[in-house]
Amino acid sequence: MAHRITPTARDERPVGIYIHIPFCRRKCSYCDFYSIAEFDDALCDRYAAALVRQIAETAPTIAGKVDSVYFGGGTPTVFGAKRLCAVLGAIHKHFSVEKNAEITTEANPESTDKKTMKALRRAGFNRVSFGVQSSCDLELRAMGRLHDFSAAKAAVEAARAAKFKNVSVDLMYGVAGQTAESWRQSIADILALKPEHISAYGLKVESGTPLSRAVEAGDVLLPDDDTQAEYYETACELLRDAEYVHYEISNWAKPGYESRHNLRYWRLEPYIGFGAAAHSDAFGIRCAAPRDIEKYMTAVECGGEIFEDYDRIPPSERAFEYVMLALRTGDGIDAGTLRRSYRLDPDAAAETIDALAEQGLVARTPHGFRLTERGALLSNTLILKIFDALKPLENRFAKEKL
Amino acid sequence: MQDITKIRNFSIVAHIDHGKSTIADRLLEMCGAVAEREMEEQILDNMELERERGITIKARAVRLQYKAQDGETYELNLIDTPGHVDFNYEVSRSLAACEGALLVVDAAQGIEAQTLANTYLAIDAGLEVLPVINKIDLPAADPDRVAQEIEDVIGIPAVDDAPRVSAKTGLGMEAVPEYIVKNIPAPQGDPNAPLRCLIFDSQYDPYKGVIVYLRVMEGTLRVGDRVRMMQSGAEYDVVECGNLGAKTTINTGELGPGEVGFLTASIKNVRDCEVGDTVTHANAPASEALPGYRKVQSMVFSGVYPADGAKYPDLRDALEKLRLNDASLSFEPESSAALGFGFRCGFLGLLHMEVIQERLEREFDLDLITTAPSVSYMIHYTDGSEKMIQNPLEFPDGTELDYAEEPFVAASIITPPDYTGAIIELCQERRGVFKDMKYLEATRVELHYDLPLGEIIYDFFDALKSRTRGYASLDYEISDFRRSELVKLDVLLNGDIVDALSFIVHKDKAYPRARKICEKLKDNIPRQLFEIPVQAAIGGKIIARETVKAMRKDVLAKCYGGDITRKKKLLEKQKEGKKRMRTFGTVEVPQEAFMAVLKLDED
Repeated sequence: MAHRITPTARDERPVGIYIHIPFCRRKCSYCDFYSIAEFDDALCDRYAAALVRQIAETAPTIAGKVDSVYFGGGTPTVFGAKRLCAVLGAIHKHFSVEKNAEITTEANPESTDKKTMKALRRAGFNRVSFGVQSSCDLELRAMGRLHDFSAAKAAVEAARAAKFKNVSVDLMYGVAGQTAESWRQSIADILALKPEHISAYGLKVESGTPLSRAVEAGDVLLPDDDTQAEYYETACELLRDAEYVHYEISNWAKPGYESRHNLRYWRLEPYIGFGAAAHSDAFGIRCAAPRDIEKYMTAVECGGEIFEDYDRIPPSERAFEYVMLALRTGDGIDAGTLRRSYRLDPDAAAETIDALAEQGLVARTPHGFRLTERGALLSNTLILKIFDALKPLENRFAKEKL
Repeated sequence: MQDITKIRNFSIVAHIDHGKSTIADRLLEMCGAVAEREMEEQILDNMELERERGITIKARAVRLQYKAQDGETYELNLIDTPGHVDFNYEVSRSLAACEGALLVVDAAQGIEAQTLANTYLAIDAGLEVLPVINKIDLPAADPDRVAQEIEDVIGIPAVDDAPRVSAKTGLGMEAVPEYIVKNIPAPQGDPNAPLRCLIFDSQYDPYKGVIVYLRVMEGTLRVGDRVRMMQSGAEYDVVECGNLGAKTTINTGELGPGEVGFLTASIKNVRDCEVGDTVTHANAPASEALPGYRKVQSMVFSGVYPADGAKYPDLRDALEKLRLNDASLSFEPESSAALGFGFRCGFLGLLHMEVIQERLEREFDLDLITTAPSVSYMIHYTDGSEKMIQNPLEFPDGTELDYAEEPFVAASIITPPDYTGAIIELCQERRGVFKDMKYLEATRVELHYDLPLGEIIYDFFDALKSRTRGYASLDYEISDFRRSELVKLDVLLNGDIVDALSFIVHKDKAYPRARKICEKLKDNIPRQLFEIPVQAAIGGKIIARETVKAMRKDVLAKCYGGDITRKKKLLEKQKEGKKRMRTFGTVEVPQEAFMAVLKLDED
């Protein structure tokens, strides 16, 4: 079946699975992920069935074991514990899921209770990621969130009560009404919840969102880039003090709690996405299902073409992706990998790296180099600069090898 | 050969927007010169840019056959003139080919500076000037007042005589050709005298070579004749000659005295047959060339560089192609440490410069970086030598410089009296020397100033327009070179001089200009990985400084599975953007920064 991911060679590397749940009770003003706010039980059931069928049909083509599963959205928790568990059950049934696999669901505080948490935990979920965003209720309301901070606290408690030992919390900076003090307060309040993992994202105004319209109309005033940069540095400092490892531009974890699933993206490891708008990258091909739940379900139900974008990524682009993604991580670029897998010569960039190190934007590591926290803030510029400086090793080899 | 008594040669003089091209269109239509289906607006302005800007850049001529009330058919030759002060010389040559001129005046706006300037050119050339009052259909039209104004200011009869028309609606237009036939004298000239033809324009045609537009003053021009251009000395055999249709040339094989037409002779180079030159027979030459020839002289200079250095040969080809059609465009290669290889181009004036730049970008699809326009300076060195320089980089150091001279223009500004204060202030700011001021009528004042050309090319039109809400009009001509206290201002980015941004300025203007240029650069140079000092200096002494702060944030916070492709595209775009920047030392400067420096506004 040409429309399904077909391995061109037997690839036994472990894979990650992403399940997209495109339902939200209400869309947040800044969000441009694919989700719909109008749905009923019948639609959810039909969507769950489509997911299960896509899983069942895809599994035979995948040789590798599954070592991470991630339910994202949208808001997985509005889909209901029952359906989430059913879909996870299908994954267990059709794939070979490693025993200690990381199995995460995103959750919103307002749609989380003890019962849900218990059900999810029992079904095999072992990590939950809460969209808390802020501890300031005014900011939460301005973002269009449905919860207040007390609900967030209750949600984390519910997860703990259900024996989740790996809890992550999302925070957002650069939102309307935020001040340096309120941001510090949010971080302190989150730290008090003792999550194993924290993601902190700078707000980005995405075109087409209600927020971007409001900003354009002058109805919303957001902190500027310099202020966002300050807030980022505040987060770096406070989370370092609290002994979190800064392992990716926007992610911090207690040692050993780095998100295995998310690391896949930055390490160019294979992942398979199920559901509307879900992306996959496996067997050298990156593809995506339509951002349209009806189209997606119909395609699955009729056995038709699911993916809209098929991209066979040429080796030269893979090399760029490696540089772009590895520089997001705390480990940074490994010179050996750069040479062996991507045929790029790290020595060619030595002068550039030294100059950037001098400016405090890059740090050398035992096996390569990484961006510093100040460098991370400028990563777009630095990625281009560094990639530009890396010259290919002898072309003859590059062609043969890749 | 055409009966000379039935020929009328005329041009139309008008201020921009007073309806010159529309009147021409109507006349063409009335005389059946173009079929209705071919009729398009402003048929004589056939360059896209001319239509868009509503101005005439090149002169054009067309022959009209008009059956007059006396039953005779007359040949009316309409020579359209460029409508801008940059092209004054071209206007004067076009006028010299005529016996009369229609003076078109807007019934609402009345006489403007340019109208006056061109009218005087016409009167000086001995032309019969016939006023026509246009746009009488406008609600604000006041033809009686305007007619009176024409009589008072110019001193030609208008109240009883001037046709009052609306070229747009055609109202009253039938009177115009009759008016021309009756009032413009027929040309004179001996068909057997030695040949003398005045070249008033030329155009390059890829198949025929240069098409020379000319007016036969005396003698007879025939196909096969060997002709000589008396100024350039070039000789050619005439391949075609004849009259000018609205859209084509009509090879009649012969042109007699008084006739307006064209010749082709496989001429490769427009410089061989410049405007104002005289065509004569090579074997029986006229003893004297026609008067009035002037070598075209560039007044405004600017460095023109391709944004992408690899496009240098394309730019050269494009300039060469434009020069085929435009003898007044000059260019020579130059190189800049900052901008690489490019050309120092000479233009007749600011409009000419803008037009050329726009045509290069539009017709040849080039991205350009242009340096601030400058004028020629006469440098007197301490060793007694002197040199005319066009490039600010040639401006000598303090010890070598004895003194410098800059070109001045004699400017005439016509304005409603309310704005005289503002104009005097503006001219003072621009180092103007007041000459005189007189009331043309109760509501209009004419001011005469001597102004440095360097100040006029620096945003003077815009300033004048904004301070007079568009009511004032300006005309000027180059008068002389005068000694001035001039200095060269250098711009430094991160401590390094960017040669392409240097310019020459009057000492008293250096500080404000320096401050403004630094501000503009600060606003237009994107923040980079490090702090960038932006400085302006005179001879090594820093007189202004701004700082482009280091960039703090350029990051995509989220990058998960679905974001990778998007992020890659975003970075590719960012990379493309960088390609459009020039790197000076370690500083990347976008084209916009250069543009912004060129457009230092008043505010």
